[in-house]
Amino acid sequence: MAKRLSAEERRASIIKVAKRLFAQAGFHGVSIDEIVKEVGVSPAILYRHFESKDELYEAVLHEFSATRESYVEAVVANDIGFEQVLRSMTTVFVSSIMSHPDMLKMEMHSQLEGSEASQEFFLNRWKSFTDYIEFNLAELQAQKKIHPINAKATALIYQGIIREVLLQKCVQQADRFQEMPVAILVDEVISLFMKIIEPRK
Amino acid sequence: MSFDAELDAKGLNCPLPILRAKKAITALNAGQVLKIIATDPGSVKDFEAFCNQTGNELLSSAEVDGAFEFMIKKS
Repeated sequence: MAKRLSAEERRASIIKVAKRLFAQAGFHGVSIDEIVKEVGVSPAILYRHFESKDELYEAVLHEFSATRESYVEAVVANDIGFEQVLRSMTTVFVSSIMSHPDMLKMEMHSQLEGSEASQEFFLNRWKSFTDYIEFNLAELQAQKKIHPINAKATALIYQGIIREVLLQKCVQQADRFQEMPVAILVDEVISLFMKIIEPRK
Repeated sequence: MSFDAELDAKGLNCPLPILRAKKAITALNAGQVLKIIATDPGSVKDFEAFCNQTGNELLSSAEVDGAFEFMIKKS
Protein backbone atom coordinates (compact mmCIF):
# COMPACT_ATOMS: atom_id res chain seq x y z
CA MET A 1 0.00 0.00 0.00
CA ALA A 2 1.21 3.45 -0.87
CA LYS A 3 2.42 5.51 1.99
CA ARG A 4 0.29 8.48 3.00
CA LEU A 5 1.42 11.66 1.36
CA SER A 6 0.11 15.19 1.54
CA ALA A 7 -1.94 16.31 -1.47
CA GLU A 8 1.01 18.32 -2.71
CA GLU A 9 3.45 15.43 -2.37
CA ARG A 10 0.99 13.11 -4.07
CA ARG A 11 0.59 15.51 -6.97
CA ALA A 12 4.36 15.80 -7.32
CA SER A 13 4.80 12.03 -7.24
CA ILE A 14 2.22 11.58 -10.02
CA ILE A 15 3.95 14.23 -12.15
CA LYS A 16 7.31 12.55 -11.60
CA VAL A 17 6.08 9.15 -12.80
CA ALA A 18 4.10 10.67 -15.69
CA LYS A 19 7.17 12.56 -16.87
CA ARG A 20 9.22 9.38 -17.03
CA LEU A 21 6.50 7.44 -18.84
CA PHE A 22 5.67 10.24 -21.32
CA ALA A 23 9.40 10.49 -22.08
CA GLN A 24 9.54 6.76 -22.77
CA ALA A 25 6.41 6.36 -24.86
CA GLY A 26 4.93 9.75 -25.70
CA PHE A 27 1.51 11.15 -24.88
CA HIS A 28 -0.46 8.46 -26.71
CA GLY A 29 1.81 5.62 -25.66
CA VAL A 30 0.89 5.88 -21.99
CA SER A 31 -2.48 5.26 -20.39
CA ILE A 32 -3.82 6.63 -17.12
CA ASP A 33 -3.99 3.02 -15.92
CA GLU A 34 -0.26 2.56 -16.43
CA ILE A 35 0.50 5.79 -14.63
CA VAL A 36 -1.62 4.97 -11.56
CA LYS A 37 -0.17 1.46 -11.45
CA GLU A 38 3.37 2.85 -11.31
CA VAL A 39 2.44 5.48 -8.75
CA GLY A 40 0.60 2.88 -6.68
CA VAL A 41 -2.70 4.74 -6.34
CA SER A 42 -6.23 4.31 -7.66
CA PRO A 43 -7.41 6.21 -10.76
CA ALA A 44 -9.81 8.12 -8.49
CA ILE A 45 -6.87 9.63 -6.63
CA LEU A 46 -5.19 10.69 -9.87
CA TYR A 47 -8.40 12.29 -11.12
CA ARG A 48 -8.64 14.21 -7.86
CA HIS A 49 -5.46 16.01 -8.95
CA PHE A 50 -5.80 16.02 -12.73
CA GLU A 51 -9.04 16.08 -14.67
CA SER A 52 -7.58 14.29 -17.68
CA LYS A 53 -4.41 12.93 -19.25
CA ASP A 54 -4.15 16.22 -21.16
CA GLU A 55 -4.13 18.14 -17.92
CA LEU A 56 -1.45 15.86 -16.48
CA TYR A 57 0.68 16.28 -19.61
CA GLU A 58 0.31 20.04 -19.30
CA ALA A 59 1.39 19.86 -15.68
CA VAL A 60 4.57 18.06 -16.76
CA LEU A 61 5.25 20.77 -19.35
CA HIS A 62 4.54 23.38 -16.73
CA GLU A 63 7.18 21.86 -14.51
CA PHE A 64 9.68 21.99 -17.35
CA SER A 65 8.88 25.63 -17.89
CA ALA A 66 9.94 26.28 -14.31
CA THR A 67 13.40 25.03 -15.31
CA ARG A 68 13.49 27.53 -18.16
CA GLU A 69 17.03 28.57 -18.94
CA SER A 70 18.07 32.05 -17.92
CA TYR A 71 20.46 33.65 -20.36
CA VAL A 72 20.69 36.90 -18.46
CA GLU A 73 24.02 36.08 -16.91
CA ALA A 74 25.43 34.87 -20.22
CA VAL A 75 24.39 38.10 -21.85
CA VAL A 76 25.34 40.53 -19.11
CA ALA A 77 28.72 38.99 -18.35
CA ASN A 78 29.86 39.11 -21.95
CA ASP A 79 30.57 41.81 -24.44
CA ILE A 80 27.84 41.94 -27.01
CA GLY A 81 29.82 39.84 -29.46
CA PHE A 82 27.76 37.45 -31.56
CA GLU A 83 29.92 34.38 -31.16
CA GLN A 84 30.64 34.92 -27.48
CA VAL A 85 26.99 35.28 -26.52
CA LEU A 86 26.00 32.34 -28.73
CA ARG A 87 28.58 30.17 -27.00
CA SER A 88 27.45 31.06 -23.51
CA MET A 89 23.75 30.70 -24.38
CA THR A 90 24.43 27.28 -25.85
CA THR A 91 26.37 26.19 -22.78
CA VAL A 92 23.44 27.17 -20.55
CA PHE A 93 20.93 25.41 -22.79
CA VAL A 94 22.92 22.23 -23.31
CA SER A 95 23.60 21.73 -19.62
CA SER A 96 19.93 22.33 -18.83
CA ILE A 97 18.81 19.66 -21.34
CA MET A 98 21.54 17.25 -20.25
CA SER A 99 20.15 17.42 -16.73
CA HIS A 100 16.54 16.99 -17.97
CA PRO A 101 16.87 14.46 -20.80
CA ASP A 102 13.18 13.57 -20.38
CA MET A 103 12.32 16.95 -21.79
CA LEU A 104 14.18 16.20 -25.03
CA LYS A 105 12.55 12.78 -25.28
CA MET A 106 9.10 14.30 -24.81
CA GLU A 107 9.98 16.86 -27.46
CA MET A 108 10.85 14.09 -29.90
CA HIS A 109 7.55 12.33 -29.27
CA SER A 110 5.63 15.57 -29.56
CA GLN A 111 7.10 16.21 -33.01
CA LEU A 112 5.04 13.38 -34.43
CA GLU A 113 2.07 13.01 -32.18
CA GLY A 114 1.86 16.10 -30.05
CA SER A 115 -0.81 18.74 -29.91
CA GLU A 116 -0.18 22.16 -31.35
CA ALA A 117 0.23 23.49 -27.82
CA SER A 118 2.96 21.03 -26.90
CA GLN A 119 4.79 21.55 -30.18
CA GLU A 120 4.70 25.26 -29.58
CA PHE A 121 5.99 24.77 -26.05
CA PHE A 122 9.07 22.90 -27.23
CA LEU A 123 9.65 25.12 -30.22
CA ASN A 124 9.62 28.12 -27.97
CA ARG A 125 12.81 27.00 -26.27
CA TRP A 126 14.63 26.86 -29.58
CA LYS A 127 13.24 30.24 -30.53
CA SER A 128 15.70 31.87 -28.15
CA PHE A 129 18.46 30.69 -30.48
CA THR A 130 16.76 31.26 -33.79
CA ASP A 131 15.66 34.78 -32.76
CA TYR A 132 19.11 35.59 -31.52
CA ILE A 133 20.85 34.33 -34.66
CA GLU A 134 18.38 35.85 -37.11
CA PHE A 135 18.48 39.27 -35.52
CA ASN A 136 22.21 39.45 -35.18
CA LEU A 137 22.98 38.20 -38.67
CA ALA A 138 20.50 40.71 -40.11
CA GLU A 139 22.17 43.46 -38.13
CA LEU A 140 25.71 42.42 -39.06
CA GLN A 141 24.69 42.39 -42.73
CA ALA A 142 23.10 45.81 -42.46
CA GLN A 143 26.36 47.07 -40.95
CA LYS A 144 28.21 45.38 -43.84
CA LYS A 145 30.34 43.43 -41.41
CA ILE A 146 29.55 40.06 -42.99
CA HIS A 147 28.80 38.77 -46.47
CA PRO A 148 25.12 38.32 -47.35
CA ILE A 149 23.66 35.19 -45.81
CA ASN A 150 20.13 33.91 -45.33
CA ALA A 151 19.65 34.55 -41.63
CA LYS A 152 16.59 32.36 -41.27
CA ALA A 153 18.19 29.33 -42.90
CA THR A 154 21.37 29.86 -40.88
CA ALA A 155 19.37 29.89 -37.65
CA LEU A 156 17.73 26.63 -38.69
CA ILE A 157 21.13 25.03 -39.30
CA TYR A 158 22.14 25.96 -35.78
CA GLN A 159 18.98 24.57 -34.22
CA GLY A 160 19.50 21.37 -36.19
CA ILE A 161 23.08 20.74 -35.17
CA ILE A 162 22.60 21.53 -31.50
CA ARG A 163 19.53 19.34 -31.35
CA GLU A 164 21.49 16.53 -33.02
CA VAL A 165 24.33 16.89 -30.50
CA LEU A 166 21.82 16.60 -27.68
CA LEU A 167 20.17 13.59 -29.30
CA GLN A 168 23.50 11.84 -29.68
CA LYS A 169 24.50 12.65 -26.14
CA CYS A 170 21.37 12.21 -24.09
CA VAL A 171 19.04 9.99 -26.04
CA GLN A 172 21.18 7.65 -28.10
CA GLN A 173 24.40 7.83 -26.09
CA ALA A 174 26.14 6.91 -29.31
CA ASP A 175 29.44 5.04 -29.18
CA ARG A 176 30.66 7.19 -32.04
CA PHE A 177 31.03 10.21 -29.73
CA GLN A 178 31.85 8.49 -26.49
CA GLU A 179 35.36 9.87 -26.32
CA MET A 180 34.04 13.40 -26.85
CA PRO A 181 32.45 15.09 -23.82
CA VAL A 182 29.41 17.16 -24.71
CA ALA A 183 31.17 20.46 -23.97
CA ILE A 184 33.93 19.63 -26.47
CA LEU A 185 31.45 18.50 -29.09
CA VAL A 186 29.43 21.71 -28.70
CA ASP A 187 32.60 23.74 -28.94
CA GLU A 188 33.57 21.99 -32.18
CA VAL A 189 30.19 22.48 -33.82
CA ILE A 190 30.07 26.16 -32.89
CA SER A 191 33.52 26.66 -34.42
CA LEU A 192 32.33 24.94 -37.60
CA PHE A 193 29.10 26.93 -37.58
CA MET A 194 30.99 30.23 -37.30
CA LYS A 195 32.89 29.34 -40.50
CA ILE A 196 29.75 29.69 -42.59
CA ILE A 197 29.49 33.31 -41.54
CA GLU A 198 32.06 35.17 -43.62
CA PRO A 199 33.32 38.44 -42.24
CA ARG A 200 33.87 41.17 -44.85
CA LYS A 201 37.45 42.20 -45.18
CA MET B 1 5.73 57.91 -16.18
CA SER B 2 8.08 59.72 -18.53
CA PHE B 3 10.96 58.03 -20.28
CA ASP B 4 13.84 59.00 -22.51
CA ALA B 5 13.98 56.07 -24.90
CA GLU B 6 11.69 53.24 -25.87
CA LEU B 7 12.48 49.70 -26.96
CA ASP B 8 9.97 47.49 -28.70
CA ALA B 9 10.92 43.86 -28.05
CA LYS B 10 7.53 42.36 -28.84
CA GLY B 11 7.57 38.85 -30.29
CA LEU B 12 11.19 38.26 -29.32
CA ASN B 13 12.35 35.48 -27.05
CA CYS B 14 14.80 36.03 -24.27
CA PRO B 15 17.64 36.84 -24.24
CA LEU B 16 17.12 39.15 -27.22
CA PRO B 17 15.05 41.74 -25.28
CA ILE B 18 17.77 41.78 -22.62
CA LEU B 19 20.53 42.20 -25.18
CA ARG B 20 18.73 45.03 -26.95
CA ALA B 21 17.99 46.69 -23.61
CA LYS B 22 21.65 46.42 -22.67
CA LYS B 23 22.57 48.17 -25.92
CA ALA B 24 19.88 50.84 -25.54
CA ILE B 25 20.95 51.62 -21.97
CA THR B 26 24.55 52.08 -23.08
CA ALA B 27 23.36 54.98 -25.21
CA LEU B 28 21.63 56.71 -22.26
CA ASN B 29 23.05 59.02 -19.61
CA ALA B 30 22.89 58.16 -15.92
CA GLY B 31 19.42 58.89 -14.53
CA GLN B 32 17.66 58.53 -17.87
CA VAL B 33 14.84 56.02 -18.24
CA LEU B 34 14.33 53.30 -20.84
CA LYS B 35 10.87 51.89 -21.47
CA ILE B 36 10.73 48.33 -22.80
CA ILE B 37 7.74 46.44 -24.15
CA ALA B 38 8.07 42.67 -24.45
CA THR B 39 5.76 39.71 -24.93
CA ASP B 40 7.91 36.81 -23.68
CA PRO B 41 6.53 35.95 -20.21
CA GLY B 42 10.06 34.98 -19.18
CA SER B 43 11.08 38.62 -19.59
CA VAL B 44 9.55 39.52 -16.20
CA LYS B 45 12.07 37.42 -14.28
CA ASP B 46 14.83 38.21 -16.75
CA PHE B 47 14.56 41.99 -16.38
CA GLU B 48 14.60 41.63 -12.60
CA ALA B 49 17.77 39.56 -12.86
CA PHE B 50 19.21 41.98 -15.41
CA CYS B 51 18.73 44.95 -13.08
CA ASN B 52 20.13 43.04 -10.12
CA GLN B 53 23.23 42.17 -12.08
CA THR B 54 23.82 45.50 -13.77
CA GLY B 55 22.83 47.78 -10.88
CA ASN B 56 20.32 49.69 -13.03
CA GLU B 57 17.04 50.40 -11.28
CA LEU B 58 13.84 48.63 -12.27
CA LEU B 59 11.31 51.43 -11.65
CA SER B 60 8.30 49.40 -12.69
CA SER B 61 7.22 46.12 -14.24
CA ALA B 62 3.62 45.74 -15.36
CA GLU B 63 1.40 43.71 -17.63
CA VAL B 64 -0.50 45.91 -20.07
CA ASP B 65 -2.82 44.44 -22.74
CA GLY B 66 -1.10 41.08 -22.76
CA ALA B 67 2.37 42.61 -23.06
CA PHE B 68 4.94 43.39 -20.40
CA GLU B 69 6.20 46.90 -19.80
CA PHE B 70 9.35 47.73 -17.93
CA MET B 71 10.85 51.05 -16.90
CA ILE B 72 14.56 50.95 -16.20
CA LYS B 73 16.60 53.86 -14.90
CA LYS B 74 20.25 53.89 -15.79
CA SER B 75 22.46 54.05 -12.71
